[in-house]
Amino acid sequence: MTDATASGLPDARPQGSSSLLQQDALMKRRNAAEARFKFYGIAAISVSLVTLCVMLWTIFSDGVSAFRQASLELTVTLDAERLDPQGDRSLESLSKVTTIGYGNLLTAALNDYMAERNISVEGVSPKQVGEFISRDAPARLRNMVLADPELIGQTIRFGAFASGRIDGYMKGRVTMASAALDSNITPEQLQLADRLIEAGVLKSAFNWRFLTNPDASDQRPESAGLGIAIIGSLYMMFLVAIMVLPIGVAASIYLEEFAPKNKWTDIIEVNISNLAAVPSIVYGILGLAIFINFAKLPASAPIVGALVLTLMTLPTIIIATRASLRAVPPSIRDAALGVGASKMQTVFHHVLPLAAPGIMTGTILGLASALGETAPLLLIGMVAFVANYPSSPLEGGFFDPATALPVQVYSWASRSDPAFIERSSGAIIVLLAFLLVMNILAIVLRRRFERRW
Amino acid sequence: MNDMRIVERDVNTQKAKITARGVQVHYGTTHALKDVNVDILANTVTAFIGPSGCGKSTFLRCLNRMNDTVASARVSGEILIDGENIYDKRVDPVQLRAKVGMVFQKPNPFPKSIYDNVAYGPKIHGMTRNKAELDEIVEKALRKAALWNEAKDRLNSPGTGLSGGQQQRLCIARAIATAPEVLLMDEPCSALDPIATAQVEELIDELRASFSVVIVTHSMQQAARVSQRTAFFHLGNLVEYGETGTIFTNPSDPRTESYISGRIG
Ligand SMILES: Nc1ncnc2c1ncn2[C@@H]1O[C@H](COP(=O)(O)OP(=O)(O)O)[C@@H](O)[C@H]1O
Ligand SMILES: [Mg+2]
Repeated sequence: MTDATASGLPDARPQGSSSLLQQDALMKRRNAAEARFKFYGIAAISVSLVTLCVMLWTIFSDGVSAFRQASLELTVTLDAERLDPQGDRSLESLSKVTTIGYGNLLTAALNDYMAERNISVEGVSPKQVGEFISRDAPARLRNMVLADPELIGQTIRFGAFASGRIDGYMKGRVTMASAALDSNITPEQLQLADRLIEAGVLKSAFNWRFLTNPDASDQRPESAGLGIAIIGSLYMMFLVAIMVLPIGVAASIYLEEFAPKNKWTDIIEVNISNLAAVPSIVYGILGLAIFINFAKLPASAPIVGALVLTLMTLPTIIIATRASLRAVPPSIRDAALGVGASKMQTVFHHVLPLAAPGIMTGTILGLASALGETAPLLLIGMVAFVANYPSSPLEGGFFDPATALPVQVYSWASRSDPAFIERSSGAIIVLLAFLLVMNILAIVLRRRFERRW
Repeated sequence: MNDMRIVERDVNTQKAKITARGVQVHYGTTHALKDVNVDILANTVTAFIGPSGCGKSTFLRCLNRMNDTVASARVSGEILIDGENIYDKRVDPVQLRAKVGMVFQKPNPFPKSIYDNVAYGPKIHGMTRNKAELDEIVEKALRKAALWNEAKDRLNSPGTGLSGGQQQRLCIARAIATAPEVLLMDEPCSALDPIATAQVEELIDELRASFSVVIVTHSMQQAARVSQRTAFFHLGNLVEYGETGTIFTNPSDPRTESYISGRIG
């Protein structure tokens, strides 16, 4: 302003000539620049929204069908002569009958049903009728009988999963044309499937077992489920949360509030930022070397996965926590110190409660990213085929082999049968649902505990 | 400024409550305070005046060692309170701050209830044995801070919901609840409107009965109104210190005179 007073009035703007009702050229240019900027912003957001929608649409159109499953509602007579040749109902003699025996029983039941109703299609042998039934069904029936030998001799209703091809036909994945080229199924079998659907014995329904079953072998995609993956992921999230929160918060409080500012803390600080940027697979290698090869923890166990994910999430959580500690106004610290609170009291009575919503949000978002992490878990063996549920945490379940949701997505996606690709998308939907719940939780916590000052 | 009317004051002539000798403060390479020597009297309101950045707040923060929280600050020299050097190695600043309360420029109540704001200090210093005693301390502090009548029906509502002037009086109540002997105030009225300012000034005069009050102010009128003694700081030096009346009507240093008459600042 001193220039202006030295040379009289500034004369950059012409006086008197302009009307406020009319924009001058400069104003028009400025407004145009603003409009352009807004357009770029909207365009960028639109592109990302469209991409997101396309992605979600693909996942849902491919994956929703994984939650439905075709099954055959059969009336099976559990013939005592076949299932218990010795007639003593002892577990020992019952278990001599293999799943093949039970499979024959189910095939016979379906053939009988068709004979009763006069359903038949030229060129479909009774054996091919048996191929309608998933290999999972005899195994399940056998387990049922072994668990309750009283059933032998009775006639029961049994819902048997249809095989993957038949299921695929009902979902539109398998067609007459593809069946003609497929050695596992013939077009005639599909015609029979149409008749069975008409008769009401072959139906498609919501499939809870997709969420509860363990993974299954390549031959029976229809019985593969996410049970073990969900348990594994929940175990890991629990362990990560109880490890990462105390360690991360304590480290952040120390670094932010207590640590002297010298070159050591500078080095630590730089390293934390660097660790946050280390590719996750490196943590997998670290976990393999330290927790499995050195500490001899069992491979594929949730505890190892959780330790690796804790190491991986820790830097992110420390950064988020320190940011929320720093966001607490210094005047609050002054106020507490001014009435004679110690450093510790200042932090725990005043700073931490105010930073808590931010810490919780950061932690939940860190956990969410750990939940979706795949690469390090592959390295510590969580991609292995696991057929048995891990036991409960109290019985050492954290040390039992398990797998995890994103790993299951990966391993299904890499199998050849298209039925597994569908399940892979279904697993992504489950994973997204978990992430959505966690993010909503983060928002709710933030809203609920946020206090203004 | 010779025509400025200064009301006759009953200046106390007790012995010094706070004695500062050769106090120097550096912030990194900035030499913020240069060799300050001053005796602050008990039951007196002492005003620190001077242009912005001259070190008034710095010196005030030396008196309760709040400068310890600034990483770059280095303090040398001696400050005695009742004859004890507060920069002695054996002194814990946390204990010192219970004895030397502080009110900040911007009202900074805790985001808690009015009651909890005032009760916090007594609680952490273990001053009470039960709720009834605590209630009594809170009421006394709020009464002394002239906030009781406005706050007594809403003790459980948040302190941050009060008006600016009320918040500052709440901060004063919080500071005096720990029964300090010295009360430091750093421009306590700069965020307040004239009515709230008048209330706080009136309060300061009453507080003098129980505490030594040291107040930093950028308003010379305020210094003249509330203080008995005034110290004038300039560029990190304590230029002149004496009775408020003398400083304003008959300053001995030319720098004081030009500041008082508005030529520097
Ligand atoms: N935390 C700090 N870090 C570095 N320099 C500071 C700090 N606080 C104050 N100073 C410097 O010390 C000098 C005195 O500041 P201050 O005591 O706040 O002045 P005022 O008289 O306005 O209260 C100023 O030059 C200021 O820039
Ligand atoms: Mg200041």
